[in-house]
Amino acid sequence: MYKQITITGFGGQGVVLAGRIVGQAAAIGDSLESTLVQSYGPESRGGACSAQVTIADGPIYFPYIQNPDILVCMSQSGYDKQYPSLKKEGVLIVEQDLVKPTDGRDHFAIPCTRFAEELGNKMMANIIMVGFLAAITEAVSLDAARATVAESVPKGTVEKNLKAFDRGWEFAQATLKGRRHKAAGQIGVVA
Amino acid sequence: MPTDFKIVLFLCNWGPHVAYQTLQDQRADIPVEIKMVRIPCSGRITKALLFKAFEMGADGVLLIGCQSGTCRYGTGTAAALENTEDTRRIMELMGLGQERLQLGNFLPDQPEALLAFLQRFTEQIRRMGKSPIVPAANTTAPAAGGPSPEAIAAGLDVFACQDCGKCTSACPLALAGKSFSPRFVAAEVIAGRAQRPEVRAAVNACLTCGTCYERCPSAVNFPEFIKAMRHYYQGHELTPAPAHGGFFQSMMRAMTAEALVPRRWQELPDNIRVRAQGPILFYGGCASYFDIFFRKFLNPQTGHILEDSLRLLNFFDVEPVLLTDERCCGHDLLWSGDRENFQRLAALNARAIAASGAEELITACPECWHALSQEYPRHGVTLPVKITHMHEFLEREIAKGAVAFKSVEGRIAFQDACRQSRFNGQAELPRKLLGRLTNGTPLVESGAPSVCCGNSAWTGCDAFSKRMQVQHIERAKAAGGEMIVTACPKCQIHLGCAMEDVMRGEELKMEMMDLTSVIARSIYWE
Repeated sequence: MYKQITITGFGGQGVVLAGRIVGQAAAIGDSLESTLVQSYGPESRGGACSAQVTIADGPIYFPYIQNPDILVCMSQSGYDKQYPSLKKEGVLIVEQDLVKPTDGRDHFAIPCTRFAEELGNKMMANIIMVGFLAAITEAVSLDAARATVAESVPKGTVEKNLKAFDRGWEFAQATLKGRRHKAAGQIGVVA
Repeated sequence: MPTDFKIVLFLCNWGPHVAYQTLQDQRADIPVEIKMVRIPCSGRITKALLFKAFEMGADGVLLIGCQSGTCRYGTGTAAALENTEDTRRIMELMGLGQERLQLGNFLPDQPEALLAFLQRFTEQIRRMGKSPIVPAANTTAPAAGGPSPEAIAAGLDVFACQDCGKCTSACPLALAGKSFSPRFVAAEVIAGRAQRPEVRAAVNACLTCGTCYERCPSAVNFPEFIKAMRHYYQGHELTPAPAHGGFFQSMMRAMTAEALVPRRWQELPDNIRVRAQGPILFYGGCASYFDIFFRKFLNPQTGHILEDSLRLLNFFDVEPVLLTDERCCGHDLLWSGDRENFQRLAALNARAIAASGAEELITACPECWHALSQEYPRHGVTLPVKITHMHEFLEREIAKGAVAFKSVEGRIAFQDACRQSRFNGQAELPRKLLGRLTNGTPLVESGAPSVCCGNSAWTGCDAFSKRMQVQHIERAKAAGGEMIVTACPKCQIHLGCAMEDVMRGEELKMEMMDLTSVIARSIYWE
């Protein structure tokens, strides 16, 4: 197993924290190897920024990612910059309201910023995205990811953030359920 | 061979009675179990009367009328055929067996055929054995020892009534022109005049919709007061005024017999998936019985609410467990004053629900939901399951996302279910669900929750309830409503009845559908 995940977005969206949670969950919770490369520079003042997480069941010799298996885009500029590098059979996940994919490629979408606002704080969009990512890609286990979220967020916001994580996880389950039904030809209730 | 079976024979005065008399004159061998009741016309024996005999302990009932074409009144034979057919279907559904009720038609000169028919039927009943129903007279303990009207008033603090009249000014019955006033009932009972016939009639007439409680500045819980008073009258020879001849009350009382095993869910469409064991139990309620009972005039399709609910559960990957011997929840018995039999039903239901091993019970009927979640615990029956209304389940699943709706055309008037919107303050929930379907088109509203559909607990329907329903539909139409969306099978039946006015023709007709069905038709995976 060797999974390369790139998460992109604006500076301030919590992209790096999301990457750290995923990597830490894999390393500590799931007893795998993981590395994280975070891009600094002008990006931390806004603009596209990214986190590159590699998860493997053996040693990782090179932490940088040229062609990710999983690409998570939380901003349009991040998508524009990173999308060409995504592997052909790779999984694309986007923030539904902020990113409009330019080609017809099959992808997963979640309006995580909107959900975060509904939950009371749009800073939690990244945690919702982690929940969604974990459920869709199974890169990390539910327990590991949840426990890591609880450890990584400021004290006093743990409960809220776990709620956000579950929101993303449940949305992913609903999305997968919908895809299963659609594949079986059951699009509506009566049809 | 005399037995202790009881067979009631309703015998038409005209054609067949002559044949019966011939048999008596000949001292023919009429089975001794048969007790003959002479009636003017077989067409006048309603479903309620046919069933009442079973409630009172009959093992078999025969309705014998004139042969087709020889009815003195023209339509008696056809009416008898329909009444018997519908009652038989209901008896089959509730597990009594349709064979216990039969219709025969004979000419005056057919005594031999009549005798053979009587003997054959008696033989069949002997083979089938005693009816599982325990006659109500043997079970209903007189509740005369219950609290006095004054104690009821004190217990619910009806004394807090300030006699301000806000209740009457909001009461839908009073607004429809009936001389009915909640505060009148309160004042009379407080003054010790509960025995007056006017007070009894008023207690019966109340819709128990809860509008007065909503308006009362002293928060006098009038529906609870009415419920307690009806129970008091039940134990004091109240002449109840149940609608539809008391058929539904009879049916519910019959279901308190432990030996009776209903046969529900026999005709589910194949594409609905259910399981024998599982964490989620779906409780249907009485919609299927209503559809049979009202087939002739209204032909309601409230059974579709149950099917659509099951389909929606399947849509969200839930395969529910069904109780094939599901009984009535007892809501209407409680609200028409028969607390003893309600408690009997509750105990039987509690046992069946516990035996199913489920963790959560979902029901699409607001009355079942209210009874199971509120009235059962209040009467000392705790269920080992979480009670969820179908709307709550839908909101929970829809909120998870990934589903979308084909928006519904036309403006919708929503008919609240009193047990959901008023009694449990959940008027917002169905509106939230509807909001997703209507694409921003506002509902037709004149102050939510909407006015009562006209009745509850199959009690006290009269011209004023009808007037109220008609006004209600007219208002919805005038405000541009094109479709009524309901949340209770009874609202469908009552409003559907109001639309059937012959004098008004098509004027009141409006499309009507349950919220669950509307959602089932428009939801899809995104």
